[in-house]
Amino acid sequence: MGPIPTITMHVPGPLRAYCAGAVQLSIAACTVRAALEDLERSQSALYRNVCDETGKVRRHLNVFVNSNNVRDLEGVDTTLRPGDVITILPAVSGG
Amino acid sequence: MADRVMLTIGTKKGVFVADAAKPRRSFALRGPFGPGVPVYSTLIDTRGTPRLYASSCNPFFGMKVLRSTDMGKSFKETKSAPAFPKEDGRALANIWSLEAGSGKKDLWCGVEPSSLFRSHDGGDSWDLVPGISNHEHARKWQPGNGGLCMHTIIRDGNRVHLGISTGGHYLSEDGGETFRASNQGVGAGFAPDPYPEFGQCVHKIARHPDAPGRLYMQNHGGWAEWTGPGGPRPDIGVLRSDDYGHSWRSIAKGLPSDFGFPILVHPQDADTVYVMPLEPATRSCPGGAPAVWRSENGGESWSRLARGLPKKQSYFTVLRDAMDIDRLKAPALYFGTTTGQLWIGREGGEQWECLFDSLPPIHNVKVAVV
Repeated sequence: MGPIPTITMHVPGPLRAYCAGAVQLSIAACTVRAALEDLERSQSALYRNVCDETGKVRRHLNVFVNSNNVRDLEGVDTTLRPGDVITILPAVSGG
Repeated sequence: MADRVMLTIGTKKGVFVADAAKPRRSFALRGPFGPGVPVYSTLIDTRGTPRLYASSCNPFFGMKVLRSTDMGKSFKETKSAPAFPKEDGRALANIWSLEAGSGKKDLWCGVEPSSLFRSHDGGDSWDLVPGISNHEHARKWQPGNGGLCMHTIIRDGNRVHLGISTGGHYLSEDGGETFRASNQGVGAGFAPDPYPEFGQCVHKIARHPDAPGRLYMQNHGGWAEWTGPGGPRPDIGVLRSDDYGHSWRSIAKGLPSDFGFPILVHPQDADTVYVMPLEPATRSCPGGAPAVWRSENGGESWSRLARGLPKKQSYFTVLRDAMDIDRLKAPALYFGTTTGQLWIGREGGEQWECLFDSLPPIHNVKVAVV
């Protein structure tokens, strides 16, 4: 097993108030799930905006690894590689 | 000395605050606070220095509770919102009711999926109330059109009345430790059994503090023509209890429809009650002509209050928490519409006037004299 990759998590504007204004976070994690678990420990206020009490990503949020929605990959079990960028975005919906 | 009338207006796009001097001639509007985010419940807490609360139900980032300590000039998030324990398996979908508790900073909060939380520190931390949230019926309740919501919390010493849609009326007589379904006489139109133990779609419950044994209920009516199993259920929509909610009887006779959402009691007269009858199919007033209906004898007879309201072509809905009444000597009623109008009914609803006509769709209206 190799070293744990370090990835970047891009924080959307409306959520930066929950992580001291950070635009992005550097996280060491092998999967999206592990990155979210890291977020739960290190940025609990931000985490509560991204995941509900059961640990699921909120229904109207999309999580991308680079340009791919994790729904089209392996969900939160999607494997991360060094330098990957996780982006969390509200789904564009409604009218 | 309380000298201003304050309104909180929860809308699809945030919460607004309006206030006026006691004659209520002109209201000044502020907001929206929590802009762009739906607000389904507000509370004007007049114990001590007034505090305003609003639930901010963000479909993307989850639920927040907003609090104002400067009379609605600004709002900030409390340190946390209600949340289920991780192992519970339920996730908070909405916040439907905020009520003051007995202690100075005690708050009660009803949520979706129907559960009850309490805070002892003004909304900074919350505890699940297991007696109802983990009730043996809780996993059997079904969502109504608005969701599975606990929308009514009425406290009366050790008695606690809860209204759940759909779930029915639940009563605690030990301060909220334990609850039991208390729906004798409360009909349901969407089940073969017209009078089930629980599962009724209660829309709102109201009572007068000086007559705690008397409660009024706006239930989900509109089933007079039902021809399926169990037969028709006329007049199940507007009900009254005279025994602290242990049993209920219809007081719908004389109304143009027994369907509706809000129900209010006059602040100085427990016999005077207000409803807004709606056609069940459209959720708008019969004939497109809005009217509040008032009974001054506890529901024995009803009269129509519509002076100043549109006479035709008005198809808005007034939702369960979008009507309130102030506590001044000649009280005024207020209702907000799904088309964004806020109306005031002066002299107990005798004369209506539109205060604001282009707000976002209104979910919630609360009033207090502060």
